[in-house]
Amino acid sequence: MENLETQDIQGIIIKGYSNLPAADFLLLGIKDAVAVKKWIKNNIATITFGTDKPQETAMNLAFTFEGLKALGLDAATLDSFPMEMEDGMLTRHKQDYLGDYGTSDPAGWDWGGKKTAPVHVLAMLYGASEDIMNAWYAKQKAQLEANGFSEIKKLDTTVLPERKEHFGFQDGIAQPTIKGLDRKDSPQNTVAAGEFILGYKNEYDQYPIAPVVNPNLDKENLLSFSTAQPGLKDLGRNGSFLVFRQYKQDVVKFWKYMDEATRLEKEKCNEEEMIKLASKMVGRWPSGAPLAVSPEKDDTTKSNVDHFGYRHSDGEGLKCPYASHIRRTNPRDGQDMSEHASNEISKKHRILRRGRSYGTPVTNSMKPEDILKVSSVEGERGLHFICFNADIGRQFEFIQNAWVNNPKFEGLYDERDPVTGNHSHPGNTKMTGTFSVPKESGLRERYTDVPEFVNVKGGAYFFMPGIKALKYLASV
Amino acid sequence: MAQHGALSIVVDIKPGKKQELRDKFKEIEAAGIDTNSVVPFAKLTSIHFARFVVFDEGTDAYGKPFPARLSFTTNYDLPTDNHLKELIDNAGPGLWSIFSMCLKFPEGAYSAAKLSDYLKTSSIPTDTFYVGVGQRSVSQIRNENELREAIENYADAQKIEFKGKDAVYIRKKIVDFVNGNPKLQWAKTPAPKRSAGESAVFYGKLILVILLVIVLLPIIIPFVIVWMTLVLINEITTKDLVCKIDKNHVRTLVERENTIVQQQFSAMGNVKPGFLRKSTMLFLLRMTNFLAPYLFSKGKLSGIPTVQFARWLIVNDGKQMIFLSNFDGNSENYLRDFINIAGRQLTLMFCHTVGYPKTRLMWFGGAKDADGFMAWARSFQVISNVWYSANKTVTVKNIFHNAAIRDGLYGEMSEHEARKWLSKL
Repeated sequence: MENLETQDIQGIIIKGYSNLPAADFLLLGIKDAVAVKKWIKNNIATITFGTDKPQETAMNLAFTFEGLKALGLDAATLDSFPMEMEDGMLTRHKQDYLGDYGTSDPAGWDWGGKKTAPVHVLAMLYGASEDIMNAWYAKQKAQLEANGFSEIKKLDTTVLPERKEHFGFQDGIAQPTIKGLDRKDSPQNTVAAGEFILGYKNEYDQYPIAPVVNPNLDKENLLSFSTAQPGLKDLGRNGSFLVFRQYKQDVVKFWKYMDEATRLEKEKCNEEEMIKLASKMVGRWPSGAPLAVSPEKDDTTKSNVDHFGYRHSDGEGLKCPYASHIRRTNPRDGQDMSEHASNEISKKHRILRRGRSYGTPVTNSMKPEDILKVSSVEGERGLHFICFNADIGRQFEFIQNAWVNNPKFEGLYDERDPVTGNHSHPGNTKMTGTFSVPKESGLRERYTDVPEFVNVKGGAYFFMPGIKALKYLASV
Repeated sequence: MAQHGALSIVVDIKPGKKQELRDKFKEIEAAGIDTNSVVPFAKLTSIHFARFVVFDEGTDAYGKPFPARLSFTTNYDLPTDNHLKELIDNAGPGLWSIFSMCLKFPEGAYSAAKLSDYLKTSSIPTDTFYVGVGQRSVSQIRNENELREAIENYADAQKIEFKGKDAVYIRKKIVDFVNGNPKLQWAKTPAPKRSAGESAVFYGKLILVILLVIVLLPIIIPFVIVWMTLVLINEITTKDLVCKIDKNHVRTLVERENTIVQQQFSAMGNVKPGFLRKSTMLFLLRMTNFLAPYLFSKGKLSGIPTVQFARWLIVNDGKQMIFLSNFDGNSENYLRDFINIAGRQLTLMFCHTVGYPKTRLMWFGGAKDADGFMAWARSFQVISNVWYSANKTVTVKNIFHNAAIRDGLYGEMSEHEARKWLSKL
């Protein structure tokens, strides 16, 4: 087994910093590349790496393709990056592929969009408490702005109780375990390091496509030679590609819809059914318990259960509908092919999620019945979705395109992800989604007017380099 | 029960006419593929899928140049004569104007008879033809999808009435609804199935071939061993081209993919030189062609559940392979399916082309090199200048599912059976 060079891998890839609940994500531009490079060179120790055990603060850095260009990286090296990095999320094809239409159209994004300032760098700051975070941010902001960076936008985050996201469901449960790290997990959930970290073999037993540098350019001999491309220096090694999407969640609309769709009598909210419908859409109950394991009611003792399949216990989707969010984003053994093939294919489309929520919750309790009582809601809330993968096209984009936003997923006709799917498409006049709940009695319950609960407000692809690569980037 | 044909016209383009042809296709595209006046595809009711592709000139594996080519291909419902008549009746002058830019085309003013002869004599046999839609005609696929939609909407409208009712009752109501709907009268009778006689002929052919193979086994086994050894030597000793992704080429290809449900793939590559390669390839393709209706009759091509139609054509005396397919989803996911689901089987068919990832015994290696496979596929893929699909909103799975819904309209069912059938909605 390959040993991971954790001392060279940025910390956030290896761990989620759950002991550092406060976080700010700074979107930066490079105003003065010389100053920026000098600052990086002198501040490598500020960056948190995989062997560090941050107690109070942490910081990680990642660059967009434009950012790497702004640093002065040579054309050949830039060209060795996978095309997803270069094309970003804004081309016509990518907009189509990712399904960013209507209120998710990049023309209306707050950042990273068609009409906003180009983002070059992402600085991820973490703190053990809000006070520590505020001081850490103030310090870094002053430092960064004094050293050639400009702050384009600061994205705040919020810690919600019980690891919930804003709709009130526990989030971040199904995470793959990276092969080569100490943690032991089931074979299905143990995924080759090269699926997430460049320079290691992936699930195809190949090295992922990674940026390389002509050895003549590495004058200070900072990079090691590439295993995959002999003769060239490996800029990708121990780095990863970071996908950032800001998802705005309309919490009131979500619960209002669930309420109205499940009322038996006009005036009376059917709380149990309302939560059940929402859970059918998510695929887990608010506690996190999977419907495939606990189909009838929430079971807090199963809130973290992640070792389950669909094939043998729920082939027809009677417990967890095919169209539900978690069955789409990770179909496990349940795809229409052999069990082995389904598991293997699912493993080739995994991501490491490192997102954080933002915005104040609609109510402190986060209970649907309380949310429904709220008359006016202020501010915006949602999820800063962040994930790591070694092949953006095969992992994040595939999940988004072939699974989440595919109306024909696994034999369906016209059903996108009921929670995060984007139902607007230029080829579709209908702006709402359809969601079917299979029933034991035969005939499904079909909801044909599911609105969009989640919209994209910003996004970009980043490269998060290893320490050696960061030093090299500071030297170009 | 519909049978399908694959019309393949692959002809050399007159020198200097390539751009004019491409411009013509751009005009067709701009005017609307379905309704343009040159080839108004929507009027051609026998066609499932059709496309025009211009292939650039090139150099074969022996170093000999070959000219630019035009391919016009259709997947149609038999009989062929009806299809050709439909083409000429609705698009005769349009096709005349297109093919007049190709070599060996009859000169002069439009003549339906000459065009008909030309289409017949220029059409080439398909080396492998795969049909993923079952034995269903264009109209059957469309009708059965409309039937399902009508039933779904009816069931939604009856939501309150159906609440708490048993499955047999609900099914009966649905059957009554279908029978009472003037637009759905065709659904009163089941879809035509293969008759006993037809089945006997169909399976008889297979049994005959299997028997023949068994009888000849003592000769076949040593022959295959020797042959495979030669193939292995050829694989080890041949130095092959390594394909690299051309990002701009991929961008051009995917930028054209703007439909939601289906996509197309067109590619042409050189066949590796030598008699051994050519004959091995032709044998494997034609064997697959013979076995495909038996092995892949349920809408899955070697396990890939998304291919509607596909064909392999060997042209120019065995020097180039053309591959054309119509599938659900988009090209990126389609190629991933190839690698993840059917890498080995497809390696057997494709490894004879230059630039395919290195194989051993045509079975090991190959598509296992996922990045190498993607680079190879993208390198030889070309844009489909004009691409038409008759039933744009259905996937292979939808087509089979719709048919199963229709099948359940006839006869009596137990409560259990009725539940199973209702669950298909």
